[in-house]
Amino acid sequence: MTLVTLQAWLVRTFARGTVAAAFMRTHWGWPAAESVHFIGLSLLFGTIVVWDLRLLGVGKRIPLAALHVLLRWTGIGFALSAGSGVMFLMTEPTEYIYNPSFHFKMVCLAIAGVNALAFYATGYGRAVTHGAPEVAPRNAKLFAVISLLAWLGVIVFGRLLTFYRPAWCDEKPTTVVARCVPSRSQQ
Amino acid sequence: MAALFAVLGSIESSALSTWLRESPSLLAFPLMLSVHAIGMGLAAGINAAVALRVLGVAPAVPLDGMQPFLRVMWAGFWMNAASGIALLIAYPTKALTNPDFYLKLTLIALALASVRALDRRVFRTSAAREAALEPVVRRLAIASLTCWAGAIIAGRLLAYTYTQLLASWR
Repeated sequence: MTLVTLQAWLVRTFARGTVAAAFMRTHWGWPAAESVHFIGLSLLFGTIVVWDLRLLGVGKRIPLAALHVLLRWTGIGFALSAGSGVMFLMTEPTEYIYNPSFHFKMVCLAIAGVNALAFYATGYGRAVTHGAPEVAPRNAKLFAVISLLAWLGVIVFGRLLTFYRPAWCDEKPTTVVARCVPSRSQQ
Repeated sequence: MAALFAVLGSIESSALSTWLRESPSLLAFPLMLSVHAIGMGLAAGINAAVALRVLGVAPAVPLDGMQPFLRVMWAGFWMNAASGIALLIAYPTKALTNPDFYLKLTLIALALASVRALDRRVFRTSAAREAALEPVVRRLAIASLTCWAGAIIAGRLLAYTYTQLLASWR
């Protein structure tokens, strides 16, 4: 399966969300989902910035284990943004699946996700939450920097989506990832 | 009214406004929008983090330890004041003829007033203790959360509620 056929499959799959799409096409549906998306973004980004800056040495008087509890709200923010994000995809799948800015946004999101998993898998998360040291392990700072850059990328590429709306493809896409919307015969 | 639109029209026809609105450069409108989104995340998001702490989330975090993060929150606010002015210069008529724009500014002012009052009462006093917090402190935290959520919603709705895009198009 190439990425172009994966894209076609994703479009078909998200397009099955017809109930969500019907809600989104009501008068206030789309702006309501956007509002949830931005409130989720703020919760997610604000709490993750506090955590990452603390790992980098800001607010050293706060014990890391004590602050870690706040990350539950990062999860709540993510759920709000991901949930509303899926609603956008179900309504206008081709606008996102073939948008190069969306591709970069998803790459940044994947980096943020893998980085967070690695933070816990490599034992830094445990050291921080159970050992409760005042100073984060030196390498934990690398996780913090990657996290901050990845989330900034998610926000910026999300904001740039509208400037890279995909057009219809003139011919069958030959790139690894399609950046235009193929007609059915081109897929 | 005619005088107002004359002023708005002259802002719109300025070189800066035209560049911000029409330049294909990513450094024009796209950069301003991106900075505005990042600043929103920092201002509203860090406000949420400190307000949640006041409301009892992560109770082992020392209240006066949050102070350095408030500076980052204010940095986010100033990023948004600057990028917001740029967006306003690009489309002055669109924003200034929309009552929703004034609602958004009012909600931001209320959110900032709440968090400043919170800062004075909670985060600057090294002796601030959970038990000694006045009930007004919780109310200020809830007010700042509510006003920021309202400001974000009002901001989003700007794209759906404007009645005039450009003075020159009337």
